[in-house]
Amino acid sequence: MKPKHAPHTDPTPMPARAKLEREARQEHEMELLVGYLLLSGVLLSILLVVTGMAWEYVKTGSLHLNYLIAGMNFFQFLVGDLRAILTPSLIGPRAFVNLAIAALLFTPYIRVVSSMVFFAAAEKNWKYTAFTAFVGVVLTYSLFLR
Amino acid sequence: MSITSPGVLFVVSILAGFIGAMSGMGGGIVLIPALTLFGVNIKHAIAISIVSVIATSSGAASAYVRDGVTNLKVGMFLEMFTILGAIIGATVTLVSSDQPLFIAFGIVLLISWGTLFIRKHHLTNYLLPADRFSRWLELRGAYYDHAEHQEIEYQGRRAWLGGPCMFGAGFIAGLLGIGAGALKVLILDLAMGLPPKVSTTTSNLIIGVTALAGTSIYIAAGYVDPGLVAPVIVGVVAGAFVGTRLLKRLSNHAIRQFFLVVLLALGVEMILRGLGVIA
Repeated sequence: MKPKHAPHTDPTPMPARAKLEREARQEHEMELLVGYLLLSGVLLSILLVVTGMAWEYVKTGSLHLNYLIAGMNFFQFLVGDLRAILTPSLIGPRAFVNLAIAALLFTPYIRVVSSMVFFAAAEKNWKYTAFTAFVGVVLTYSLFLR
Repeated sequence: MSITSPGVLFVVSILAGFIGAMSGMGGGIVLIPALTLFGVNIKHAIAISIVSVIATSSGAASAYVRDGVTNLKVGMFLEMFTILGAIIGATVTLVSSDQPLFIAFGIVLLISWGTLFIRKHHLTNYLLPADRFSRWLELRGAYYDHAEHQEIEYQGRRAWLGGPCMFGAGFIAGLLGIGAGALKVLILDLAMGLPPKVSTTTSNLIIGVTALAGTSIYIAAGYVDPGLVAPVIVGVVAGAFVGTRLLKRLSNHAIRQFFLVVLLALGVEMILRGLGVIA
């Protein structure tokens, strides 16, 4: 049996220690940023879906929105939807449900992009800036597919 | 698809989210068999499910990340592999016929189910020496364990093995529209030697981005039906929310055992449907 997490003394010298503490603080800032980004994205999306469905119910007495997203990539979908939201004649349940889907899809996307900026600007960690950039590029590319 | 009224979808999704959270396997693995039972085509069910996976995983991950248990670096390194797997997996689904998807889903369900039993505390020391690559990746971390009242330090290992394995997990996630959390946790646990809580929460973080990569393929192919997605997102998130909170309070495992039997039955049912034994 190995001892369960043996107590250890920290031999790290003071300047290195300060560096470690700074890194831990930055890491925690990033955790808060990522955590709140994810939470707000999901809440926003749920709120938009519920709004859209409630509107449809008031308008037609049914909760079912019958349409497909076809023949466009995510960014075309998003632009079309933002236009619908901003145009009084086009705004309606569909615009809200579409926006909810867009918000949901954007949640992990923005998480990746903001992590990349954080790794680059705050931590100057180029290794992880490159990793997150790779993920960001692949996701951007896949969202442009149609 | 006429029998799938939003009300029915909503109730089914709440149940799927609830059972998924209670059994620890995620919503998709219950949602997809349930949707196909209600007459939704399996590819549409997969597309709907993968959108809802983004919601449940992001919702859960937000709390875990703020608690400081999730290892962001491990997550972001492994995402490079899972997204590529997910894109390829989703593309395979688009060109595949329905029957193999049923069989593959049933098999993955049974394997995930099996992993719940082999996953035991196998390590007590999480600071074993790591290879050079894993050290270069800075996969060291620590978190405060509230149950054991102590800080747990750990060193992620064998990243060279974890990466390619995660490509496989991402492939399954994209192929079948699920989080594939059971597989991801297994890789983080066994291959990379992370403590169970770090594995579970980091897997959750990876799942959201992986699901997004797969979703983009299904959106481009026109498989995402917003009318069906809308009630499902709300239902799954609500069900998972209740399930997670209830899970914390339940000390007896009888209910959990019951849901595990449900999952076993779903796995067998999917395989039989894939083989054409039952319609």
